[in-house]
Amino acid sequence: MELLKRQENWNITYTHALGEIASWFFVQIRDNAKIYGRRCAKSGRVLVPPRAFSDQTLEPTTEWVEVGPGGKIETFTIVYEPFHNLPEPPYAFGFVQLDGADTAIGGFFKGVDLADPAKAAEKLAVGTRVEAKFAEKRIGDLTDFWFEIV
Amino acid sequence: MGLNRKTAVIGSAVLAPFSGDDRSLEEILYEVSQQALKDAGLTMDDIDGIVVGSNDQFDGRAISIMAASGSVGGVDRDILSTPSAGEHAFVMGVLRVASGQYDTHLIVSWSPLEASSLSEAQRLGADPYFHRRLPLDESSAYALQAAALGARSPVAHELAEPICRRGRENGAAAGIDSSAIPTHPAAGHAHWPVKEGMMAAATSGAVALVIASEDHVRERGIECPAWVRGMGWATEAAFLGDRDLAAAEALEEASRRAYEEAGIDDPRSSFDLVELTGITPFQELIAYDALGISRRDDWKADIQSPRFTMSGELPVNPSGGAMALNPVFCTGLMRIEEAARQIRGKAGKHQIDGANLALAHAASGVAMMYQTVIVFGTNAEGGRA
Repeated sequence: MELLKRQENWNITYTHALGEIASWFFVQIRDNAKIYGRRCAKSGRVLVPPRAFSDQTLEPTTEWVEVGPGGKIETFTIVYEPFHNLPEPPYAFGFVQLDGADTAIGGFFKGVDLADPAKAAEKLAVGTRVEAKFAEKRIGDLTDFWFEIV
Repeated sequence: MGLNRKTAVIGSAVLAPFSGDDRSLEEILYEVSQQALKDAGLTMDDIDGIVVGSNDQFDGRAISIMAASGSVGGVDRDILSTPSAGEHAFVMGVLRVASGQYDTHLIVSWSPLEASSLSEAQRLGADPYFHRRLPLDESSAYALQAAALGARSPVAHELAEPICRRGRENGAAAGIDSSAIPTHPAAGHAHWPVKEGMMAAATSGAVALVIASEDHVRERGIECPAWVRGMGWATEAAFLGDRDLAAAEALEEASRRAYEEAGIDDPRSSFDLVELTGITPFQELIAYDALGISRRDDWKADIQSPRFTMSGELPVNPSGGAMALNPVFCTGLMRIEEAARQIRGKAGKHQIDGANLALAHAASGVAMMYQTVIVFGTNAEGGRA
């Protein structure tokens, strides 16, 4: 028998509030090309991305600390799959622990030839030193900066 | 912390993969629930409560319990839903029976392929502040985890292939024809360093279990129940950059709790089989370490020996595990179902003879964020049968 399927495409727009902490963080990136973390007074750890509270100590964070722009690769991957609203693949992304931070922040890696993934992976090896680079035109989002191998 | 009342799995059913063309999702949920009840020798009138685990983004329905309320028997009954993981539905159900308020529960979880892209649906799980602008679907998270593990323990890259091969061979022996499995048309590509062939492509699945109290088991004279001897669960930090991706702290905590409850001192030598969640071989290695069945230094010797094969001292994933069949959202609950099935002596082609004590490990979420460990035994308590 004939079996039917029904296709639907919902288009709902969400407007998420960032709150004071994430707002200040992205304004610094947009206006000053600087990355900041928040220090937890109880543990002394600097959390990047910044949070209003530590999810380990459950204490409010108390202090802004500038981190980077240097750092080291904590982990990476090379992606070949296209996503909505993201760059054309392939691209490399991962997490970098910026100097002065105790946690790693996600971002894209640029300046590495991805044609041969094995060779690219050697260049992006965990522990490799990188530096955050900022776009000339910045909008206050995560894609205002990326990482390049030093 | 022990359970107030002994609880056992007394019936189960799996439809994975299911055809999504000749039945609607509701019809599949109806079928898998009825099959599990039949396996338990019960009817819906014998069921006191229902817990379902499902993913709204995959289902394309907000509050996807709406799809289940009628189909799994929830009309005018006690039914709860969890969106975190299929295995969390099991944990909740066992706790409810153990509370003494209920004698029986039906647990159901499902994972269809109806979204245009599972990867995009998974990205909705990331926070919209710091991570939504990254290609952070589950495949990416598995790859980030694999790269971190490979840096900590380079031997992982060498062991990945033999682990995959064992999983696929077990799956084939258990009757899974991987070439015939319908997968998502937009299935994720390999993400370095997880190479082509290291993951089973996402497919559809539905799983249902019936659990009952010791009173119910005794009164009904139910034979061969799989007793929940120990249970533990824990959650990792949501931000991947906060975590040590080469290890699984939450799994260490979950297994510590489960082993303590079950009286397991030496997990390496205690079990007759393990059903664990390793979507990639790298996850499987991380799970070995955190579950205490093979520490990092033992990985190479253990993988190269027959230890974890079907005829070895501790068969790992007799069913083939997620390496053979990966119905994304209910893969974790399927490990629990498989381990219980082994203890009930109903695993068919891949039954481990004389299975008395089984370990089930379920992991869900971004890079195994949710970790659950269940110990099943043929005896309600005490030592080995």
